[in-house]
Amino acid sequence: MAVREIEPIVLELDRLEQMAESGYYNPYTMFEWPDALEPDRPWMSESLTTLAGTPMWDELTREQQLALTKYEAINFFSLNIHGIRELMSEVVMRIHERTYSNVSEFLHHFIGEENEHMWFFAQFCLRYGGKLYPAQPTLKAASVDHLSQVARELIVFARILIFEEIVDHYNALMATDQSLPHIAREINRVHHQDESRHVAFGRMIFLNLLKQVAGRDPEEVPVVAEYLESYLQYSIGTLYNPAAYRDAGIPDALALRRRALAHPARVQAHDKVLKRTRAFLSKAGVGRELIKR
Amino acid sequence: MSEPLQKVREFILERNPKLDEIPDDLDLIDSRAINSLAFVEFIFLLEELTGEAIDPEELDLDDFRTLKAIEARFFTQKATL
Ligand SMILES: [Fe+2]
Ligand SMILES: [Fe+2]
Repeated sequence: MAVREIEPIVLELDRLEQMAESGYYNPYTMFEWPDALEPDRPWMSESLTTLAGTPMWDELTREQQLALTKYEAINFFSLNIHGIRELMSEVVMRIHERTYSNVSEFLHHFIGEENEHMWFFAQFCLRYGGKLYPAQPTLKAASVDHLSQVARELIVFARILIFEEIVDHYNALMATDQSLPHIAREINRVHHQDESRHVAFGRMIFLNLLKQVAGRDPEEVPVVAEYLESYLQYSIGTLYNPAAYRDAGIPDALALRRRALAHPARVQAHDKVLKRTRAFLSKAGVGRELIKR
Repeated sequence: MSEPLQKVREFILERNPKLDEIPDDLDLIDSRAINSLAFVEFIFLLEELTGEAIDPEELDLDDFRTLKAIEARFFTQKATL
């Protein structure tokens, strides 16, 4: 993949690289995995489930509620695994491109850490849930083919950043939720720690590439804004997995999903999850207010 | 046009304010009327309308390319079986 017509990316990353080095840990030995999780504890914060705040949650039996936290935790970790797996492969392809040679050192940390995250998320799902949910179907074809090359580069890193910021919202809350089993809290806490560096880097590289996009053709910025807004919506949608509802013994999964996604309490919850990212995009000059309808 | 296909049409129009109508043979994928970000929602809609699960590993994109193909694959097959 040749990345021409793009200026080499130079960022001040010394501090982030030092933090990655000094905070380095061995994921394979640092967790204590209990044989089983306490049966009466939620695996995901109840307030973070996709039915929280709606009558649909109240209508569930306690058993179904606990099952939902369990399968939505597995869904959340599965999304992490598949999401980062796909995005990481994009980064691997770029690691020795001339455009990225100045940030290559940090990209090595990024790839290494994400590989470890995939491992401990999968470990949790497979040990306690016996499975991962499969990746959602995607269209490989053409969804950004209409964009310039530099805008496509921007989109790659924007997807990583947005994904990481959304996940981090959940991690940060679950890292301190005393109702969760200790190991679930730990995984969220450790991930939250690594991701603070990734988000800091992600925002820097995003701003650099956005400036290049705007410099090349300011008309393309609203097109990027539109894509990013639909990516935000898409990401929220992936949290609502009908398979998780079915596994939790809740009937009419697809209709429930549709109702839940549109419920005012959930729309409010989505805005809360996306608030920080939307504020960042708007401040950067690529917020949803630019979208031409 | 069948009623479920009307729902499919509405789904696409809602997401594409610039489209006034959808010709039966418009390539929905090449024209990006359904882009990769909308695809999952689209699959869920079809599953709900047909009452049948769609296996993501067995997807044939050509079944989704045009309204005509969608009608043939998802909404007429059963009637003739
Ligand atoms: Fe991660
Ligand atoms: Fe990350």
